[in-house]
Amino acid sequence: MSPPSIGLLIEITARTLAVCLPALVIALAIGLPIGIAIGGRRFKGRVPLVSLVNTGMGAPPVVVGLLVYFALERNGPFGELSWLYSPQAMILAQVVIALPLVVGITLAAVGALDEDWDLQVRTLGVPKRWRLWLLLREIRLGLLAAVITALGGILSEVGAVMAVGGNLEGETRVLTTAILMYTQMGELEIALGLAAILVGLMLVLAGLLTAVQQSGRS
Amino acid sequence: MIRIRFFFVLIAALVQLACAEKAADEGDLLLVTTTSVRDSGLLGALLPVFEEQTGVRAQVIAVGSGAALRMGSDANADVLLTHAPEGEEKLVASGAAVSRSPIMENYFVIAGPPEDPAGVRSATSPADAMRRIAAASARFVSRGDDSGTHRREIALMKEAGLDPDARWPGFLSSGAGMGQSLQIAGEKRAYVLSDIGTFLAFQKRIELEALSQPGPSLRNVYSVLRVDPARLAPERAERAKQFEAFMLAAETQQMIAEFGRERFGRPLFRPLHLEPQPAP
Repeated sequence: MSPPSIGLLIEITARTLAVCLPALVIALAIGLPIGIAIGGRRFKGRVPLVSLVNTGMGAPPVVVGLLVYFALERNGPFGELSWLYSPQAMILAQVVIALPLVVGITLAAVGALDEDWDLQVRTLGVPKRWRLWLLLREIRLGLLAAVITALGGILSEVGAVMAVGGNLEGETRVLTTAILMYTQMGELEIALGLAAILVGLMLVLAGLLTAVQQSGRS
Repeated sequence: MIRIRFFFVLIAALVQLACAEKAADEGDLLLVTTTSVRDSGLLGALLPVFEEQTGVRAQVIAVGSGAALRMGSDANADVLLTHAPEGEEKLVASGAAVSRSPIMENYFVIAGPPEDPAGVRSATSPADAMRRIAAASARFVSRGDDSGTHRREIALMKEAGLDPDARWPGFLSSGAGMGQSLQIAGEKRAYVLSDIGTFLAFQKRIELEALSQPGPSLRNVYSVLRVDPARLAPERAERAKQFEAFMLAAETQQMIAEFGRERFGRPLFRPLHLEPQPAP
């Protein structure tokens, strides 16, 4: 077994990002509004809803993978999409994994605001569209924590992408599934090299986000 | 540096404390085998009997044959049960393993969708079947993980006069275990090479059919290899010997011959040391 070429490493890394980043963007696009809506209001059924989100934050990715698998398999409810063992299936599974993380951390950040904050902003006569902007600015530390946690969760995840992606060479093989494969093949040195890339990737992304997070501080 | 070491030792001590119960009866015998053996359920039937007879408890680790052989050559296992004859012989030649004992055999099948777009059913030999699949650019799921099955794919391709590194448009490399590769093939309606045992276990779910006829080039022999006793603790080497003897014993061979009848209506393995040989 020849070691993978540099080109292959770049390809696997690029595919990892091509799966994780869209999943992250989708999870944020859906999760942030939900988090803000739940976090900023008091309504009946809020407590069960929040505990549902908290359960989702701890949902084992491999279980998510299994459920997505059943949804997408040929005879499953969404079998006609032919998404199983494709990047689409992996993105879907990662959105499901990341969504509760985004919602949970966002609503915690909104909930942690001073109770009078909303009142103050209202009394100051800030127009509604600016209020949202102010809110986002106010909770930006929490928001970036949500982004980093969600990204870390899906970037390092292997069970779900293995179950629904299948680790197909050139199609659905990402860093984590490749590491697992080379480990099981006894190619420990290659696995270690890929692991270094994965950790480096997380380091760079987390570093960038942290720089953004801290830049607004005075 | 010393401080890091200290913390490591501290953590290790805590971990050991947490596993104190387990460590006491850990690892009487470390058996490394292939996923196809584990997935067949054979060891689940044999090992309790082994323990009853010898008092030795086997820990089973299931990996691809490539990794299994490497664990053997690194002396990270006591005994191996694998199906990669060439690699096994190399391991014995290198001295890392002693005594390769063929235990049982079954065969590989080329499975595929019942419509059989590449015409594998009418192939004259397994190699011809591979040639047809490649010529039709039909979908084919390769294990691609240096397992015994993957090595057989390569051997078949060579026999067919194909370049083993050749890729045709339908060629998919899963790098996954046998079960998952079968599921991928089922989902993609692709051809796949599988050992008969795992195929039967998955057949219903994946809706693929065995299209090839058993032939010499699809023969699949499982052997027990003992790791060089000089590199093991003496009691481990002794238990490895006990395991080898157990697998060769007539009683065990009879159990192997029976295994699978209940669940699949036919045996999954044919023991090699049972006289007289029952018809396959």
